[in-house]
Amino acid sequence: MGGQACVFYGAAEFSRDTDLAILSSPDNLECFRAALADLDAECIALPPFQAEYLLRGHAVHFRCHHPDAADMRIDIMSVMRGVAPFDVLWARRTTIQTTGGDEYDLLSLADLVQAKKTQRDKDWPMLRRLVEADYLQNRIRPTPDQLTFWLTELRTSVLLVELAVRHPELASGVARERHLLAFAVAGNQAAVEDALASEEGAERDVDRRYWQPLRAELEALRHRRP
Amino acid sequence: MVAIEDICDDEWAEWYRLTPQERWDRSQALWPTFLVLGGTLDAEPDTQSPFFDADTWSPLPPDGRPGVRVLRRSGI
Repeated sequence: MGGQACVFYGAAEFSRDTDLAILSSPDNLECFRAALADLDAECIALPPFQAEYLLRGHAVHFRCHHPDAADMRIDIMSVMRGVAPFDVLWARRTTIQTTGGDEYDLLSLADLVQAKKTQRDKDWPMLRRLVEADYLQNRIRPTPDQLTFWLTELRTSVLLVELAVRHPELASGVARERHLLAFAVAGNQAAVEDALASEEGAERDVDRRYWQPLRAELEALRHRRP
Repeated sequence: MVAIEDICDDEWAEWYRLTPQERWDRSQALWPTFLVLGGTLDAEPDTQSPFFDADTWSPLPPDGRPGVRVLRRSGI
C-alpha cells in the first residue's frame, strides 16, 4: 500500500520500505509470522507484533536480515484512519502481474488516496499526483464513478475548475459535501487554491487528533521498555 | 482542455503518459542499479510519522557508507 502502489498509480516515490495492509485474523497473522521467519525479520520498534495493537490502529515495524533482503524494512497496519475495513479493501484491490509472473495486490486508488490523508508533509504532494495522474489518463471517456471520485479528491485547482465547468450539475451536487467545488464551478481558481490549503490543514489536524491517544500509548510502552 | 505540460514539467508529463505497468517496470529497473551502487534497503527515518521513535531508528546512510563530518571550518 506504500511507495510501489504510488508508483503504479502515477505518483513517484523511491521508497525503500514495504508497507502492507494485512488482515488481523489469527490464521493470517500466523501465516505472516511464517513469512517473517522466511525473511529472518525481527520486530524493531514498539508496539510489539500483537493483534490487539494492529486492531487499535497501530503500525508494527520489522527489519529483515535474510541476505536477499538485508536491512529491508516492513511496516504493517490493519486499521487506518478514514479507510474502509480490510474486507472491503480486499474486495476492491488491484491485482497486478509482473512480466516475471509475480502477483501483487495493491490498495485500490481510492483507498490509497484515503490512506495518504495524514499529518505528514510528504503525503500531500503524493496524493495530488495520484489523483492528477488518474484524471489525466482517463478524462476523455470517464465513468460516472470516476467523475465523482475526481470531484471529491482532485487537489489540482486548474483541473478542478476544468472538471467542474464541464460537469456543473454533478459538481454542484458533490459541492454539498466539498464546498470548494462552488468556487470551481464559478471558475474561481484562486479561491479553489485557498480552499484546498484549508482542506489540507483541516485534514492534517484531524489526523493529529486521531493519533494523540495512540501516541500516548506508544509513549507509555516506551517508558516501560527495559 | 488543460495540457499535461501546463501543470507539470516535461519529466512528470512523460511519467504520467506511461501506463501503470510501465511505471512499475521502470521503478523496478532502478533497484539493481541502486544496490550495485551500494544503496541500502534500510529506510530513512520519517520524523513526521506518528510512530517515529528516535530511540529506535538509526538507519545507515542511503549509500551504505559513512556520513559526512566536518574536519575543519572557519569560525563564522
